[in-house]
Amino acid sequence: MLEYLIPRASSYAGDIDRLFDVITYLVGFWFILTLGYFFYLVFRYRAKDGQKAEYITGETHKQKMAVEVPHYLILVCDAAIIILTFIVWHKVKIDKPEVDEEIRIVAQQWAWSFYHAGPDGVLGNDDDIPMVNELHVKKDVTYRFYLEATDVMHSFSVPVFRLKQDAIPGRIIEGWFQPTKTGEWDIQCAEMCGVAHGIMGARIFIETEEEHNEWMASVSELPSVNWVAKNEAKDLQEKEDKNNG
Amino acid sequence: MLPKIISKKTIKFLATLAVAVSATAVASAEDARGKQLYTNCLACHGPDGYGNQLLNAPAIAGLSEKYIVNQLQKFHDGIRGGDVRDAAGLQMRPMAMTVPTEEDKTAVAKYVASLPVKKQEKTLEGGDPEKGKILYTTCAACHGQSAEGNDLMNSPSLQGQHDWYLASQLKHFKEGIRGANPQDISGAQMRPMAMMLTDEQAIKDVIAYIESLSE
Repeated sequence: MLEYLIPRASSYAGDIDRLFDVITYLVGFWFILTLGYFFYLVFRYRAKDGQKAEYITGETHKQKMAVEVPHYLILVCDAAIIILTFIVWHKVKIDKPEVDEEIRIVAQQWAWSFYHAGPDGVLGNDDDIPMVNELHVKKDVTYRFYLEATDVMHSFSVPVFRLKQDAIPGRIIEGWFQPTKTGEWDIQCAEMCGVAHGIMGARIFIETEEEHNEWMASVSELPSVNWVAKNEAKDLQEKEDKNNG
Repeated sequence: MLPKIISKKTIKFLATLAVAVSATAVASAEDARGKQLYTNCLACHGPDGYGNQLLNAPAIAGLSEKYIVNQLQKFHDGIRGGDVRDAAGLQMRPMAMTVPTEEDKTAVAKYVASLPVKKQEKTLEGGDPEKGKILYTTCAACHGQSAEGNDLMNSPSLQGQHDWYLASQLKHFKEGIRGANPQDISGAQMRPMAMMLTDEQAIKDVIAYIESLSE
C-alpha cells in the first residue's frame, strides 16, 4: 500500500510496509465493523412512541458472549501483530548483517553532517569525506551508521528506507541499511529540535559504483574535504613529533 | 479644457504628491515586510538584533543592508555555513532559506540595518588595546578607522559586535572554516588578513582595540 505513495529503497522497507499493511487492515476491519454495528444499533433502537428505554446490565449469557467473543478475536489479532512486529524488529534491529562500509552521521541544530569513508573505504582516517546535508551511498552495499547529536535530540529519518532513528546527545547509536534503488531522495529530522526543525532536511543520493567513484573524485578538491584531511594530518604529525621528541 | 480653478501648477503639485504618497506607501509596506520576516531571526538574534552568545548568534543591528543581503545569499547557497566544522554557520544556513527571494532578503536587511547599534558587554580578558591598535592598521584599510565598515570593500561594520563573535570568526577565517569556499570572494579577501594575527593573544589585542573604538 505505502509503496504507491513513496518508493521502497532499502532491503527491509518491504518488511516494514507489509507489517504496516497488516496493522492497517486488521485495525481497519475492526474499526469499520464496530462503527457499523454501533450505527446499526443507534438506528435499530431509536426512540419510538410507546417503547420504553431498557437498561442492560450485561449479566445474561447472550450479553456476555456479545462482549467476550469480539474481545478474544481482537486479542488474537493483537497477538498476530505482536508476533509479526517481533519478526521485523529482529530482522532490522537484532539480526544485523555483515557490513561493507561505515558512515558517521552527526545531527545538530539544524543540519546533518555525513562523514563518508574515502577512496580506501575505511571510516575515521585522513581521506574521509565530510559533507553537509548530502549523503552519498552505493546501491546494494550494506552500511553501518553511527548516529550522533551535538546539541539536542534529533531523529534521522529516511522515508524511502522506512528508517527512523532518534539521535541522542552523548550517545553513538548504531544501525544499518542496504540501499536497493538508485536515485535522490529526502532525509528529514523527525524529532522537534527547535525553531528550524521543519527545514532541517538533507538529500540521500543512492548511486552505482561508477557514479559513486565519480562523486568521490569530484569532491576531493572541496575546501571542507581538503581542510579536514589537512588538519587531521597536522594533528597526527604533532602527535608523532611529541612521541619522537 | 480644465476649469480655471485647477491651474497647471496645482495639477503638477497633486501629481507629485500622489507619486510621493504611493512611494512612501510602498516603502512602508517593505519596512513592514522586513519586520515581519525578522520574526524568523529574533529567536536567536533577539528583538533588537543584539545577538545571544548562548545561541552563537552575533549582533546584527545596524549592519549595512548590502552586507546582510550578501551574507544571507552565501548562507543560502552553502558558500558560508557549508563546512561540517562550522556549527554556528550550519545553524544559520536553514534560517537563510526562510528568505529565499531577493526582495525578502532586501526587506529583512533593510529592517536589520535600521536597528540601532549598541556596545556589547566584554567577555574576553587579557587583550591589550595599545598593541591591538598597531595590528588594526591592516584592518582599517577595509573596515575603516572607526571600524564603521565600508560597503565598497564588502567590509562589515565591527561596531557593537560581540568580542567572542569576532574571535570565533577570526579563528574560522584562519582555519578555512569561513572564506575557503572558492565562490566566497569577499571571504577569501579576509582570510589572509586573519592569517596575520599569528596567535590567540594577537586576536585578543586587536579585538580589545576594536571594542575600545565604541567607547
